[in-house]
Amino acid sequence: MKRLISAALTICLMLALFVTPGCKTSIGQRKNDQSSTLYVGYVGSSFPTSFMPWLSRDGIAPTVASMVYNTLFSYDDESGDFEPLIAKNWCYVSLDGEPLTTDGTYEGKTDYAAVEEYYSDLSDDYMAVRIELYDNVYWSDGERLTVEDVYYSFDVATDNTLSNHAGALAWTADLCHESNKGKLIRQGMFTAKHPDLSGTYPIREGEEDTVMYLHVNKIFGSVTTLFNTILIIPEHIWKPIVSESQQLNNKNPQGEFLDQYRNPVGSGAWILNTNETNTQMIVLDRNPDYHLKASDGSPLYKVDKIKILLYLDSNTAIFALRKGYIDILDSAVSSNYVSLMEKEDNIYISRSSGSAVSCLVLNVEPSSPFDNGIKLLFKDKSFRRAIALAVDQQELVDKILDGSGKTVSAGLILSDNKLLYEEKSDLLSFPLEKRLKIANELMDGLYPQKDADGYRLYNGKRISFELLTGAGAQDTVSYLQRQLSKIGIELVFKASGSSPETTYLYRSDFDITTQAVILSMANADVMYRAHFVTTERSSNYGKYSDEVLTKKIEEMRHTLNRDLKIKLIKELQILTAEAYYKIPLYCSDVLSAARTDRFSGYVSMPGATAFNNETLKNLKMVGVS
Amino acid sequence: MSKIYVIKRILYTVLVFFIVVTLCFFIPRMGVDDPCARYYPAQGNMSDESYETIKELTRQQYGLDGSTWSQYTRYINNLIHGDLGTSYRAGSPKVMDLIADRLPWTLVLSVSSMVLCFFFGVIIGTHCAVKRGGWQDRALMNASTITTAVPSFFIALLLTFFLGFQWEIFPAYTDQNLVSSFDWSLESMGAVAYNAALPVLSTMLGGIISNAQSVRNSVISAARENFAVTAKAKGITNRGVLYKHVLRNALLPIVTGLGMSLSGLIGGSVVIEQIFNWHGMGTLYLEANNTNDYPLMMGIMILISAFALAANLITDLCYGLLDPRVTLGEKV
Repeated sequence: MKRLISAALTICLMLALFVTPGCKTSIGQRKNDQSSTLYVGYVGSSFPTSFMPWLSRDGIAPTVASMVYNTLFSYDDESGDFEPLIAKNWCYVSLDGEPLTTDGTYEGKTDYAAVEEYYSDLSDDYMAVRIELYDNVYWSDGERLTVEDVYYSFDVATDNTLSNHAGALAWTADLCHESNKGKLIRQGMFTAKHPDLSGTYPIREGEEDTVMYLHVNKIFGSVTTLFNTILIIPEHIWKPIVSESQQLNNKNPQGEFLDQYRNPVGSGAWILNTNETNTQMIVLDRNPDYHLKASDGSPLYKVDKIKILLYLDSNTAIFALRKGYIDILDSAVSSNYVSLMEKEDNIYISRSSGSAVSCLVLNVEPSSPFDNGIKLLFKDKSFRRAIALAVDQQELVDKILDGSGKTVSAGLILSDNKLLYEEKSDLLSFPLEKRLKIANELMDGLYPQKDADGYRLYNGKRISFELLTGAGAQDTVSYLQRQLSKIGIELVFKASGSSPETTYLYRSDFDITTQAVILSMANADVMYRAHFVTTERSSNYGKYSDEVLTKKIEEMRHTLNRDLKIKLIKELQILTAEAYYKIPLYCSDVLSAARTDRFSGYVSMPGATAFNNETLKNLKMVGVS
Repeated sequence: MSKIYVIKRILYTVLVFFIVVTLCFFIPRMGVDDPCARYYPAQGNMSDESYETIKELTRQQYGLDGSTWSQYTRYINNLIHGDLGTSYRAGSPKVMDLIADRLPWTLVLSVSSMVLCFFFGVIIGTHCAVKRGGWQDRALMNASTITTAVPSFFIALLLTFFLGFQWEIFPAYTDQNLVSSFDWSLESMGAVAYNAALPVLSTMLGGIISNAQSVRNSVISAARENFAVTAKAKGITNRGVLYKHVLRNALLPIVTGLGMSLSGLIGGSVVIEQIFNWHGMGTLYLEANNTNDYPLMMGIMILISAFALAANLITDLCYGLLDPRVTLGEKV
């Protein structure tokens, strides 16, 4: 026995000796890293190994794509303005190229009254927009970025079925331009190389590479998706290799195509470091030639390198942050974790106000309306109203979010949106007791009979609905079950699975579901229609339809009077609130955490974690003046 | 062991494998998710017609067109030629390549764990048998109750927390640079061992106790056999009886069990790999599952099944060789 034990000890010792050299490589390398490298933790199942911007839909890919590539502008939610990125200015112009701005120059602010006056009476179905790019934008391979790259990006997006399908990532539906298999069907973009044959849009000498004109739908929101969602790709890279058989967004790229996917050439502030990037870590180097600089001429972004590390489990990632293996987490954390971390030294907790409203969606057009007719009860507005009145948002905010959130008006626009918020749409903010009393009166009038457990009956059967939502929302479901039981309605949890949209939601195969809604000036044209009008494959999961509401939404979309547009959005809030179709639950704050022992200067931005562009512009290494 | 028995056993294994392949093919397709929808998720403002066009294009691209039966025959044909298909992930890598990349990393965990379980199990089990009724024996019984009740992933979480994060003795999760920087140098191999310490420990703890208990029972049982009494009567020392006679016979069922446990080498540590960010087959399977990557899911399941069936077959056939008293397929 002693011999056996000695053998075991010898083996342990040998193992220890074998392991010792390996101890040098460690997950804790950040602690001793003196370089300006930001270690970012990301919780997900895997990292992509190729980066085609318009395919980068899932996980970390959109974040990386938006750092490696650029859009024309970024949108500032607070000011409602487009901030320069590739392009430095834009304006609406008349159909002979005259700027419709307050000071009559191409650099001036939009004169909305002039735009309305000019375009309202024209029979043409488009408006003209002039864009001017910076003249010092370069691709990461050293080639200069010109308007031809923008032309190519938009053109190929309209041409390619799959590219165009990338939808939110390359949605060109509002661009009045069309190509089919490389053949121009309708020209809606004009550059020096693709001129307007009538010669109405002026491109002066020296502006050939930087100025272009677009024809967009006569809706103010038309420019939004073109300006700040479509990542511009290099024509010189893609044009020679894109063909009908090898289309952009191709999932089966071969040869050079695949090589370009893996070694993206972008114009963004960051360059993918393909030598250091692997399946567990993405490394981005700061682009030394990025055209945008800080006001003092220094680089716009303050860290030299970003290492994004993959964590399969959020608990591990949070402990890694606490132990100092990473500087920051690129994921929101729940309020439970915040209470765990906020008393610790060197931890910065970012609490930024959220922009998404969590709401309940009641299915008014169920695909299978059987089950004793109970599924059809949501067609009755009084019934929907009773449910809306029974939902206690304050309790949800206090108990589910631990106070890190706020209640929301029934019009679904946040009260801190001073420009759009309509107070009259706040139909549900009065004492809970009174609301429950009204709700029960409504229900007594509709379905007075109850079973032994206090639930109401319809045709002798308990009124019970399934709430389709993610497994992570079990606590919300529990509170809602309790709240709705007060008006005699039973709620049962139903797991939504991995792809609820295609499985249940687009088919309207559910009773009630949860949904995040964001309505703002930037997206009002698209989202009001998507949430309340479109019934095919849209965010209008319960297929709600109302003639008055639809008419008002179309009027709002098509008006070229900005003040009228705002007024109509306010009216829409009242109409949508009175529909009791999407019932607000809460708007949660975005909580995130970062360490302050290597870097300081984190910035909390609305709707974002502490890992955001403003943070990257402000970071300072601790101990470095 | 008769030849007919061996042939029958092999044919039976092939039949089971064929059934497994068939199930692996059809079960994912019974789900409600359409892989094309996953590829190109539907967007707002898109008509049903254009969405169907896109899905059809996608089906053609990934061989999902045609009837399920024709897809099945195509798959079997490719499988016979050693082709497990192409993954749905960007870049369309071959399933075989993805598996080949991950399999060694899983084997590092599972083989080390199995060897250590066997080794320490024998030492502890024998010791407890010798000290039967002593505190060591009672401790083993209690430990056995605990490890049976506590799943290995929970042990993994405890080890991560204490040995990883609190005391920082071993890495709490795998170094993200481990795979890309591996170069067969001593330092690299040391790094692998260092990073594998906690995952291996998590999986082996339960195995050691379970093996030790089997060895203990087996040794006690063998010690009562006539050959042990005879050996003792011949004047052989207690140690000699234990190591030369008892332990040799007691290990037979343990060795058989070891053979059976080969089947779990590939797919036995999915959760452990997930907890420790380990770059193995388990995490690959979860990735495939999360992205509805059917070819990859099927490839992994088929490989795991094939490995398990082969392990069982070999164990069965070797049983007779290990223990001459066992006759397989022969009339007594």
